Amino acid sequence: MSYQTVIGLEIHAELLTNSKVFCSCSAEFGGEENVRVCPRCSGLPGSLPLFNRGAAELAVKAGLALNCKINNFSAFDRKNYFYPDLPKAYQITQFYSPICEDGYLNIGTKKIRINRIHIEEDAGKLIHDEKRKISLADYNRCGVPLIEIVTEPDIRSAEEAKAFTAEVALALKYAGVCDAKMEQGSLRCDVNISIMPEGSNTFGTRTEIKNLNSLRSIGRAIEYEFSRQKALLEGGERVIQQTLHWNDASGVTTALRSKEEAHDYRYFPEPDIPPIFITDEEIEFISRAMPEMPQSRKARYLSLGLSDADASLLIGDKALADFFEAALKGYQNPKSVSSMIIVELLRRMNDASVSAEDLKIKPDDLAVLCKMADDGAVSRGAAKDILKEMFDLGGRPMEIAEKGGMLMSNDSSAVETAANRILAANPKAVEEYKSGSAKVFGFLMGQMCRSLGKSANPAIIKKILEEKLNS
Amino acid sequence: MDLKEFIKTATLTQLGGGLKSKAFSSSELTSAYLERAKSMNDKTNAFITIDEEAAFASAKNADELISKGRAKPLTGIPVSVKDNICTKNLKTTCASKMLEDFDPVYDATAVSRLKKQGAVIIGKTNMDEFAMGGSSGTSYFGAVKNPYDLTRVSGGSSGGSAAAVAASMCAAALGSDTGGSVRQPASFCGITGLKPTYGTVSRYGLIAFASSFDQIGTMAKSAEDCGILLNAIAGKDDLDSTCRTAPFKNCLKDIEKGVKRLKIGLPKEFFGDSISGDVKSAVFKAAKTYEKMGAEIIEVSLPDLKYAIAAYYLISSAEAASNLSRYDGIKYGHRSKKGKSYEDIIKNSRREGFGNEVKRRIMLGNYALSSGYYEAYYKRAVKIRKKLKAELDEIFKTCDFILTPTAPTTAYKIGSFDKNPVKMYSSDICTVTANIAGLPALSTPCGYDKNGLPIGMSLMGKALSEATLIRAASAFESQFEKREAGL
Repeated sequence: MSYQTVIGLEIHAELLTNSKVFCSCSAEFGGEENVRVCPRCSGLPGSLPLFNRGAAELAVKAGLALNCKINNFSAFDRKNYFYPDLPKAYQITQFYSPICEDGYLNIGTKKIRINRIHIEEDAGKLIHDEKRKISLADYNRCGVPLIEIVTEPDIRSAEEAKAFTAEVALALKYAGVCDAKMEQGSLRCDVNISIMPEGSNTFGTRTEIKNLNSLRSIGRAIEYEFSRQKALLEGGERVIQQTLHWNDASGVTTALRSKEEAHDYRYFPEPDIPPIFITDEEIEFISRAMPEMPQSRKARYLSLGLSDADASLLIGDKALADFFEAALKGYQNPKSVSSMIIVELLRRMNDASVSAEDLKIKPDDLAVLCKMADDGAVSRGAAKDILKEMFDLGGRPMEIAEKGGMLMSNDSSAVETAANRILAANPKAVEEYKSGSAKVFGFLMGQMCRSLGKSANPAIIKKILEEKLNS
Repeated sequence: MDLKEFIKTATLTQLGGGLKSKAFSSSELTSAYLERAKSMNDKTNAFITIDEEAAFASAKNADELISKGRAKPLTGIPVSVKDNICTKNLKTTCASKMLEDFDPVYDATAVSRLKKQGAVIIGKTNMDEFAMGGSSGTSYFGAVKNPYDLTRVSGGSSGGSAAAVAASMCAAALGSDTGGSVRQPASFCGITGLKPTYGTVSRYGLIAFASSFDQIGTMAKSAEDCGILLNAIAGKDDLDSTCRTAPFKNCLKDIEKGVKRLKIGLPKEFFGDSISGDVKSAVFKAAKTYEKMGAEIIEVSLPDLKYAIAAYYLISSAEAASNLSRYDGIKYGHRSKKGKSYEDIIKNSRREGFGNEVKRRIMLGNYALSSGYYEAYYKRAVKIRKKLKAELDEIFKTCDFILTPTAPTTAYKIGSFDKNPVKMYSSDICTVTANIAGLPALSTPCGYDKNGLPIGMSLMGKALSEATLIRAASAFESQFEKREAGL
């Protein structure tokens, strides 16, 4: 029997507000425990939440980026349960009236529908001290604003799940909503997964795998869980609806709690916070201020003549794409500029683990360098060297070229002299060339270029060498 | 001047006048009130904490302000604060073992506004545990006793504040009112209690019981004094988003105007069989008095009153269950010595820290919200709430305020309802509608029963009509022969 996976995702993304969602504590990541807390986010008696409206704006941006309907009215509800990382013993969320609904995002040509996006507050972090056998609660993260993006069960494989999560992360980054740093926990994914016989329309019982924080673990967890469920069904057993934890080290899912112990969250409207009203005008205003989304940027790059692969590569890193566009302003040759970035710059970035945000090279200077290479002011080889120096030390291409004697020389007489010398010094090579070996030409070119140095003009060298060899 | 005698009947205006004319200083005044507070606390159990040191320090500062001519209405005047309102560095217990030693790190907004005026806070008053009750008998620190008869309850949950004012242990007090907790004890203790319109006074720092019902109220010996206190604490607060943003209008405006040509509604459903004969006749007599003063009495009807108690108890308990979930002994408050796991610690801490009435309400609230019952109980109660509010809005199109008893009876013997909490719940029938609809209501003394126990009547008006209620109550006071508790 062949089985089909059915997957729905719940993606939690931390919003890029300065303050927490219901108090004015800083929302930044990391640091000493329990310093970014106040009576509100630590649930002291008598404290009341105060909604940070900036979070609503970012949620609207997320909704627009994900093609959702934005609700003019939305409200908060309390989700009640006991857990040490939840100081009030309830989480303020939007259960009955979310801020966005009915959206979608395409992965390739497939449309994945989004059921809702709602705003909620994050819980704190628990640190388990194995030695002392105690758990410690850090409330710094309590009250950091989250949006939860809930999809319909449209996803059908681990690959789709990863691709979708990556697309969502990209869209949120472009929209300025979330920095999507999964390793820091600013984007987390819960996977709801069930399997059904291939060709069936009846979904099986689903399990929920919580808090996956990398694309790799999303893929591995889905594949493991698929196998586990398949084995159960093939063994004549049933899949139990459960919440599971994925252990990346051991590569298995383990049950957190079963249906019998499932929480009753006793949702009811939050009495301390008035509803959120957003007018159509406000939505329009936010929409007009939205930055360009990745998919439309990609379309624009394709229309500039970039290949699909190159366009995808650039938009996959927003800072790099921004660099590309800034460079284009200096030299309107998309193919040349993109090629320099993708072939030369990206390679150096990867080798040195430097991100696009931290480049010493300025986009203007890269543009100038590309034009210099295209105009023949420097050779391709020299251009690579100039780029290396700019990458390592900064600096401007023309200055580096002049200082390093790299400006391409058009002096044929020097080339003639060098050619005569080298051909005379390598009679065997000349013999091989005349007897039909094309490969040896490369060797002779190499000798010529080395002899003439960085200002060597390969075109002239080739022409003169060919003339002399063929005479 | 015999300050000790003076404070037995002095109004806030008289006290302010005496301070200004230097008949006495704030330190002397504070001393006089503290003496009464300390000497009578054994009998009444009105205070959980009396803070002499801080009181005298405030009095000293107040005296400086007064000598510089910068006194405000409450400068230098000793007041008390119900123990569910946070006072920085002054123990705030909610009369519960759970918060027995809890020391807030901030002042409630109402408290900081009192302090800004230079009021002298002499202590924190006793109450029903977490404000749940109508007797102040559920307090972890023992019941509050009624100054008119120490074998009887003071009413609740702001019983300590009521008793303190009635026995002149302070000049005025802050209470909190969720279902009648300022008005009912005011009625039992023969003083005046005012619950303002919902959203008038910031709830920041009021330890939450039922968020959509709770309001801080003022308690004193006259309607005018209640108004002076309200003016000092009411108004927009950025720390509470359920607080109204329009500026609070002076509620003492036109206080002299009397009740001529005002229309007073008497809703017949508030005078049913559950109301005692003494209470009914006192309130009807008061209605007649108002008529003689030039008001018009009309009959009105609130047919859905019979659902009010159920709606109130379902919604308020649901909110309370959620609001009290934070008390787990992990972060603050009572932590059980039994148990190592998280589940055991929180279970034991809550079992040990909460009294029976609190536990009852939490269970009731969680039940009303639980899956399978949410629609039948909570949601339906919310519908009734909306309906009652709409009916009251209609009534206030035909009259300026309604007049009703505050409580079905006068103060009962301590322990009467211990075995029958639901019967105690039903005695909230006259007061809960004001909280359900978020409307202002004031209780003022209108008579005494055959045992000499005070009877209170309630005036309830449309939103933001505090000035009308104060003016009408004040008019009644001017001809009413009030009897002091005599402690």
